[in-house]
Amino acid sequence: MKLKLNFILTLLLVPLFAFSQQLNVTGTVTEKSTGDPAIGVSVLVKGTTNGTVTDINGKYNLSNVPSNATLVFSYIGMTTVEEPVNGRTTINVSLSEDIQALEEVVVIGYGTARKVDLTGSIGSVTNDVISKQPALNALQSVQGKISGVNIVNNDAPGSSPTVVIRGLGTALGGREPLYIVDGFPVTDIKNISSSDILTMDILKDAASASIYGVRAANGVVLITTKKGKTGKPKISVESYVGMKNILNQVKMANAQQYIEHYNQNQQMIKIADPTKDPKLLKDASAQPYDTDWYDELIRTGITTNNLVSINGGSENVSYYVSYNYYDEAGILDGQNYRRSTIRNNNEYLLFDKKLKINQTVNLSFSNETPKPFGAFNEAYRQSPLVPVKYPNGRWGMPFVNTTTGIATYEGAPTDNFGLLNSIGNPVYTVESYNRKNSTFTLQGGFEGEYKITDFLKVNSRFGATKYYSKERSFSDIKDAWLASDPTRTEQQFETLKAANPSALSYAYNSLNLRNIDTYRWTWEGFATFNKRFDKHNLEAIVGLSREEYGIGSMSSMLGYEVPSKSQYWNMSMVSGDYTTETEQYSYTPTAIASYFGRVQYNYDNKYYFSGVIRRDGSSTFKENGEFWGTFPSIGLGWTISQEDFMKDQDFINYLKLKGTWGELGNQNIPLNISQVITNPGSANTNYVFGADQHLVYGASFGTPAKDLSWEVTREWGFGIDYAIVNEKLSGSIDYYNKTNTNAILLVNPILDSPYEGSFYDHGAKVRNSGVEFSINWRDKLANGLVYEIGANYSYNKNRVLDVKPTYNGATGGSLNDGQITKRLQEGQPLYAWWMYEDDGVWQTQEEINNAKVKYGTPQPGQLKYKDQNTDGVIDDRDKIYFGSYLPTSNYSIHLGFEYKNFDFNLDGYGVAGNKVYNGLKYGRIDGGENIAESTFKKRWTGPGSTNVHPGPNRMPRASSYYLESGAFFRINNISLGYTFNNLIAQGTSLRLFTTAQNPFMFTGYSGFTPEISSDGNPSLTPGIELSAYPTTRNLLFGINLQF
Amino acid sequence: MKKYKNIAFASLLMLLVWSCSDNDFLNVDSRERIEAQDSEENYTPEQFLTGVYGMFTDWDYAFSFLAVTEIISDNADKGSSPGDTGADKNLFDELTFTSTAGSLSAMWSRWYKTIGRATQSIEYTKNYGLTDETYKNRLIGEAKFLRAICYFWLVRGWGDVPLQHVNAAERAPKEEVYAFIEQDLKDAMAVLPNSYSESDLGRATKGAAQGLLSKVYLYEKKWQDAYDAANEVITSPAYGYELLDDYSMIWRVEGENSSESLFEFQARGDSPAHGIQQYSQTQGARGTTGWGWGFNTPSENLLKAFNDEGDVIRRDATIMFRNSVLYDGYQLGNTENPMYNYKAYSSKNKGAGDTDKNIRYLRLGEIYLIKAEAANELGQTTQALGALNEVRRRVDLPDVTTTNKDELRKAIWKERRLELAFEHDRWFDLIRTGQAKDAMTANGKNFVVGKHELFPIPNQQKIDTPDMTQNPGWN
Repeated sequence: MKLKLNFILTLLLVPLFAFSQQLNVTGTVTEKSTGDPAIGVSVLVKGTTNGTVTDINGKYNLSNVPSNATLVFSYIGMTTVEEPVNGRTTINVSLSEDIQALEEVVVIGYGTARKVDLTGSIGSVTNDVISKQPALNALQSVQGKISGVNIVNNDAPGSSPTVVIRGLGTALGGREPLYIVDGFPVTDIKNISSSDILTMDILKDAASASIYGVRAANGVVLITTKKGKTGKPKISVESYVGMKNILNQVKMANAQQYIEHYNQNQQMIKIADPTKDPKLLKDASAQPYDTDWYDELIRTGITTNNLVSINGGSENVSYYVSYNYYDEAGILDGQNYRRSTIRNNNEYLLFDKKLKINQTVNLSFSNETPKPFGAFNEAYRQSPLVPVKYPNGRWGMPFVNTTTGIATYEGAPTDNFGLLNSIGNPVYTVESYNRKNSTFTLQGGFEGEYKITDFLKVNSRFGATKYYSKERSFSDIKDAWLASDPTRTEQQFETLKAANPSALSYAYNSLNLRNIDTYRWTWEGFATFNKRFDKHNLEAIVGLSREEYGIGSMSSMLGYEVPSKSQYWNMSMVSGDYTTETEQYSYTPTAIASYFGRVQYNYDNKYYFSGVIRRDGSSTFKENGEFWGTFPSIGLGWTISQEDFMKDQDFINYLKLKGTWGELGNQNIPLNISQVITNPGSANTNYVFGADQHLVYGASFGTPAKDLSWEVTREWGFGIDYAIVNEKLSGSIDYYNKTNTNAILLVNPILDSPYEGSFYDHGAKVRNSGVEFSINWRDKLANGLVYEIGANYSYNKNRVLDVKPTYNGATGGSLNDGQITKRLQEGQPLYAWWMYEDDGVWQTQEEINNAKVKYGTPQPGQLKYKDQNTDGVIDDRDKIYFGSYLPTSNYSIHLGFEYKNFDFNLDGYGVAGNKVYNGLKYGRIDGGENIAESTFKKRWTGPGSTNVHPGPNRMPRASSYYLESGAFFRINNISLGYTFNNLIAQGTSLRLFTTAQNPFMFTGYSGFTPEISSDGNPSLTPGIELSAYPTTRNLLFGINLQF
Repeated sequence: MKKYKNIAFASLLMLLVWSCSDNDFLNVDSRERIEAQDSEENYTPEQFLTGVYGMFTDWDYAFSFLAVTEIISDNADKGSSPGDTGADKNLFDELTFTSTAGSLSAMWSRWYKTIGRATQSIEYTKNYGLTDETYKNRLIGEAKFLRAICYFWLVRGWGDVPLQHVNAAERAPKEEVYAFIEQDLKDAMAVLPNSYSESDLGRATKGAAQGLLSKVYLYEKKWQDAYDAANEVITSPAYGYELLDDYSMIWRVEGENSSESLFEFQARGDSPAHGIQQYSQTQGARGTTGWGWGFNTPSENLLKAFNDEGDVIRRDATIMFRNSVLYDGYQLGNTENPMYNYKAYSSKNKGAGDTDKNIRYLRLGEIYLIKAEAANELGQTTQALGALNEVRRRVDLPDVTTTNKDELRKAIWKERRLELAFEHDRWFDLIRTGQAKDAMTANGKNFVVGKHELFPIPNQQKIDTPDMTQNPGWN
């Protein structure tokens, strides 16, 4: 595919040179970065047509070379080197990679293309970028690298980041982009070692993505894994170890501050309800404990990663084999994630290289002991007066002797006891959480490519993924019963157990085993025609594919009273006093059939046209049988810099205008068919009858399915690619406008209708429009310093349009206490913030008594809310729009230096225009939860103290007070490396590096992390910090060795 | 070139072969759930009827239901911690809720969804092709009884409400709603048995339907009908209902489905457990010795009413006091609130999500009071006193002797309060009897006459069906 452009240019530009003494020159050409022999490098006597190419060992032999001539070594993708012969007969040269980004080849789906030939927008990241930001999941490494691709990282071990390309267009499942690995669609790329990835190409616009029509509405991420390179075996070892800590830890109130806050709250309760006696706490000096819960809960996380790969090949066979072991101990005690992957990619060339067979296989094993993130929430709220454990070894609980005012469960028999709050002990929460998840993924495929002629080839490929997951969860019910109250005894438990046989609360323990297996397969066949007629370049493909996914089953067993040792945790070892509950079902698979075609044409590399049409059928739309949808797109491009009138200047090296239009689909909803609802558990379809009250399983009719079909996303856009000043400065500007024309919403039935379950229906348009800028300066100074400065910026505006009237106002963002924070509303971003606007603080009882409008029965020190509709009461109709959790701006910067053997990189990433709900600060139920030190210091303490911050007796009421700017800028990578070349032998290299990930974050947000994606479902908790895993700072040391 | 033509032709042929089978390939069958079109071969009518009963075990009955029946009234306070509002329970306690209150829309919706399931169950049973007519009619009768329960709550709460099968977007006059309830109950009475075999215990009986009918008549002030229905429930040997001797036993496990019980929502705490979701937990004692959230607590006002009457037995069966020993020997310590609802207490399952606590929906004690009230209105003072004192004697209270109609009426109303406290009757009773303004004022709440007699139509319903009228005083 690679056109030897430099070769041709060299031929054209260089005039004939004078003739002198003739030499025979030999030598070896190597790749500078790897030391590998460079094969197929053109070696040319400057100004002549006398030349040759290097062989498989990088060697060349050129005769008839004038002794004063200059040799030109060139190869596509490498910098051209000119060496004066000066009478030498041996000239060894090493070539470094070309800095001209525009010559890059990118994967476009069913083929590749030179970046300069694209009419659409494709962002590409290569392995060296990924390897400089090591992470479990390669997507984490590319945050901020591609404009328009918003990656929200989650630092929890084994988690996947949330990826949003060009804005969130769909409200439901199927928000994620489509992942294609080596041509095969997959669910995610968690099972793939980052080091095995050669390139990641992201199809951002409709014209590019529509070749994957059906599921491309959220963009397509194409992953190409490494293949063997022809030559002797090369072994590569990559290792690093990292240490993780919380980046942005919130300082909590200490014991004395907590007590002051608590006592003030108690006094406020007394004012509100004179029948209640304030239960005041004694001073911190009298209290036995002052616990810093985060200190107790958090440890330094340790990550180790080791990879060995070997690749090589002969003329007809090449191979790549790798083994990767990743082990991460999270920042919670006992939290661990381990993954091993084994990859083998082979390529065979048969029948005079007419038939190429590619085989890929990837095995991935993961073992995880997760820990509940709810512990972060508990650590925030639990009082510092509570110990982790009492001296007698019992777990600390928020007991307080209300007679003495000391936080303890001990006291005189006549003393009264209470609870400071109803929060658990976070350390116990983590320790008692006993789960193990293990998965096994086998993924692989075969592809045959047959060259019928030099311009026509056919490909056929089959790929499949088999996935097994086993989850084991054990609850020590008796231990939890004892832990929740230090005064309880085992004897009491036994007594209760005897008195209540078969009550689940008094079973000793429970064990849940859950097995899932899934399978998916894809078969594709396509033919590619590629020919050049004079100045006309034409490539066309036509093909079809069949795919089925979601095949599989789930089984789950819940049993009680297994032996306490984990080795005996078998369902057949339950005591038998309790019924073992089982659940098993097969999943409904989804089948997709597709036909596609694409034409790419250009005239003289100046005028470009591409057109794609794809027809897809999806089994999802069974209710009405409207399986099929057709998705066309076109792209146009004009490379102005190729025009004659641009030839005379050398300021602009490259300039291209491009425009695209296309349609994409989304079908990712559950099978849309009217169903009967049943439930094997304690659900409202079931009831107990009879003197023995036996459980009887009933049924109800589900909400009838609506007439659904594809979500169709229509997108148009245009852009400019440019390179100026000898291609030192390059970049692009893009505009897009993308509308999901019939977004499927999950809608609640009308309140008084017969049906209960929410249902799917087309109900709105969602538009994302925005601009993307990317700019990059790269230069090499005379002293050998190569430096690079780059920046990306993207702006996206998300709007919901044309909502069906009865679907307007669907709410979301539940805080799990009956409060909601989000709403879907026409003219606003998808599920934007919606809550009361706070309006100062009630200062005195007189003020409250005289106020016409108030919510409930407020107290001094509580927030006031605005009566937006001035109807004299505060209720839902006074909640208003407060922006969105979705950032409007994403930006990143990159700095890179290479000098001699040093390399240095610095990356920064930031977002702006979003708001985050500080759910940690917000939620106080009992008034005895701990607060951040800043909350303590700023609080209302009496009339006139502040009219902004509430006092300690806050009500759990969602309001704009808790909404903060989510803007942040984070240095997400600083790395320094040193490379030893030819250390042991020619061609070996060793790079030592150290990387600081997330060393600094600049944000005004008062919680732990403003980067909160949850599962990405906009109607749930993205943007709400309740139990989010904090962003971590990670310090890595590593080596990369190649020999 | 010929060679390529062949290849092209072959490829084309291959495409065609695939195309033919495409729709078969895409026609994937549902596996996790049964498609509605396959329901007849997989589900019996009885299962859909179970689905109607099941609705009464929904979580809404453990929280929203408490707000709109008890917390709102003078019997109960919100309870729990001062800062824990239970989303909107404080607004019901203070009588400052509006049409956007979640508890209102939850119950409005829950009742209509139950009505929907009942209607579907009836249709399904009719069309299924059951050959046993008695069995078929019984299933239909049970569903009609359950549907009547829901419409009865709706009409008491909101007055004119939509009849779902007529027009869900328009409110029917409350007379029509009452007529529909009466018809359902009469239909049910005609087909339901007096009792069931041991394995079917808990299903709606003829006595339950007639008992409920007497209460419906009471609300309609059809005194004679109410009297007749109540009297038959009490006296008919076919039913065999009898008051339990010990009032406090009614709410214990031993008192489940007793001779006093007309209808209960059934619950099971043992594995596999299925109770009224969290009903005992939300109302359970809160604090170190507690097990629950502590909502819906008895008010000082109610305590005073018991004490003023010297009604120790019912007081101690209704109210669980801080620092007391419960009937099962459980030592309740210094809980957060001074009093809790004893009638929601599950000795065996305490605060589990699924407990063995049946909700006593309708029992003979109330039927006596219906009879008493109807008799008094009809001028049959002796009958009225007889029925009233039957209830009082059980709890060792002296007989009421007044023959003054107004005094007797007040005595019966007071008796209803003490006998039925925390049985989700108080608020509707206050409204029905016109005592609400005085009672709520005495309880320190601002009851607005002409407004608070009816709940507002939930705001979400108004958004969905904008033409539906709102009740007076609300927006």
